[in-house]
Amino acid sequence: MNRPLRYQLFTLLFAISCVTTAHGQDATSSETAYVPMGPEFHVMGFGDISYISKDGSNADGFTVGQVVAHLSASLGDSFGVFGEFSSTARDSGYATGVERLIVKYDYSDQFKLSAGRYHTPIGYWNSGFHHGAWLQTTVSRPEMVKFGSKIVPIHFVGILLEGLIPSGALGLNYKVGLGNGRHSNIAAAGDTGDINSDKAWMVQLNSKSRRFYGLNVGLGFYNDEIPLADGTDVLENTFSAHAVWAKESPEIVFEYLHSTHELLTDSSISGNVDAWYAQVAYRLPGRHSQWKPYVRFEQNRVDDSDPLLGAEALNFDSGVVGVRWDFNPYATLKAEYRNEKFDDGIRENNFRLQISFVLTKM
Amino acid sequence: MRNSFHNLHHILRRLVVAMGLLIVGSVLFAAEELTESPIAIVVHKDTPVENLSLDELRSIFLADQQFWSNRTRITLLVRAPQSDERTFVLDRIYQMSEAQFRHYWIAKMFRAEVPRGPKIVFSTGMALDLVVAIPGSISFTRADAVTDNVKVVRINGLLPDEDGYPLK
Repeated sequence: MNRPLRYQLFTLLFAISCVTTAHGQDATSSETAYVPMGPEFHVMGFGDISYISKDGSNADGFTVGQVVAHLSASLGDSFGVFGEFSSTARDSGYATGVERLIVKYDYSDQFKLSAGRYHTPIGYWNSGFHHGAWLQTTVSRPEMVKFGSKIVPIHFVGILLEGLIPSGALGLNYKVGLGNGRHSNIAAAGDTGDINSDKAWMVQLNSKSRRFYGLNVGLGFYNDEIPLADGTDVLENTFSAHAVWAKESPEIVFEYLHSTHELLTDSSISGNVDAWYAQVAYRLPGRHSQWKPYVRFEQNRVDDSDPLLGAEALNFDSGVVGVRWDFNPYATLKAEYRNEKFDDGIRENNFRLQISFVLTKM
Repeated sequence: MRNSFHNLHHILRRLVVAMGLLIVGSVLFAAEELTESPIAIVVHKDTPVENLSLDELRSIFLADQQFWSNRTRITLLVRAPQSDERTFVLDRIYQMSEAQFRHYWIAKMFRAEVPRGPKIVFSTGMALDLVVAIPGSISFTRADAVTDNVKVVRINGLLPDEDGYPLK
């Protein structure tokens, strides 16, 4: 057995043993009430299996999606630990990983300080759905925030301060983060340290209106400096905006992102990224309430002159139509047709069928 | 002998009918009593809150607000599924179905926004006992079942027995 495989197996066994131990202590997410006497542990699991058929492809077939374990521990009234661990099918076997690991101290509703590895709070989807396919309405994430995306830095490692802003019916809340920026592989986070001395920072302001219950709007800004392979640095500024109607009849999610990338040594070399998606779903009423049809349109545009992403062939257009069937309280079946146009101009149709589930006692 | 058996059969039949009517009457009376009794929001006696707007109450029940003003963490106690009080609260405060309620809390925990979901209680007595026992706790119960050792919170400035109370 080679060493990486041994290491992966050890990590997986460790995660499973953690899950088993915690499960043995208290496996309920919404547990029977009692007077708390000590730490509380909660465990959840997510998984999905898909069938994908692409036109012009002989690679149709079944795929095992990510298997995800979520652990949370409440170590007193103010201190908690959250972990999200995944196992992902690859051609070379299964890759295990720490998706999120957060140590959090809640001083009050206004000040909650945490440290760890996060999904970067840019826009709505990236920090709203994480790795549980069951949670999201659609089969897959929008292209701009897909796992491994180069448009949005999906993960960041650092510290985050968040909380409510006293604002009455506006229901404002904020997030301010500081951490390692993109890795030399720009789709990855700096898990083992930053690749330069300039830290990435971000600010997000959201409103969960109390008057218009279900409405969530937000603005965000992200800044980083990224060293290129030739030794020059690129300044990245990203502005994001989202508007969400979170109720299900209808459910509306719109997200927009604009990034500028500029070579620090020569500001004439720069480029822009514009990416957006709009998704509308509708939970049917009455006895058909297990069904939720949806559509989504998305577009990503990257300038060829962009010094960071211009050569990455990220232009993309897509239309998605599908339906979600919640046939069980903890499992759902989704059927989705996608029409996608990639950077090379080739248009592709594909059909996806996915069963996803959550393991919890809530 | 045949007459005695006939009389016994007659009496038994009357008894069964009477018991049936009694059971149906009790159920109808209980249902009537529940629908006529508003839902009271109760908190631990030391909790520094007297009045909440319905929007503020929703914010607490959604765990968007997780602390009282004295920085005590709020512990939400929710009745188990299929209780009338839970159905009422899901409909009027959460405006969610049972499935949406479950999905909401799973997502909330998965986003690491809360360390735990609401605690489940199985009876009015259990809800009241735990509100007394857990500082910072909040729950809901039929107003006519409220005991003196918990504090009833005004909603939109009104108590459950006042006109215009929003949780009737």
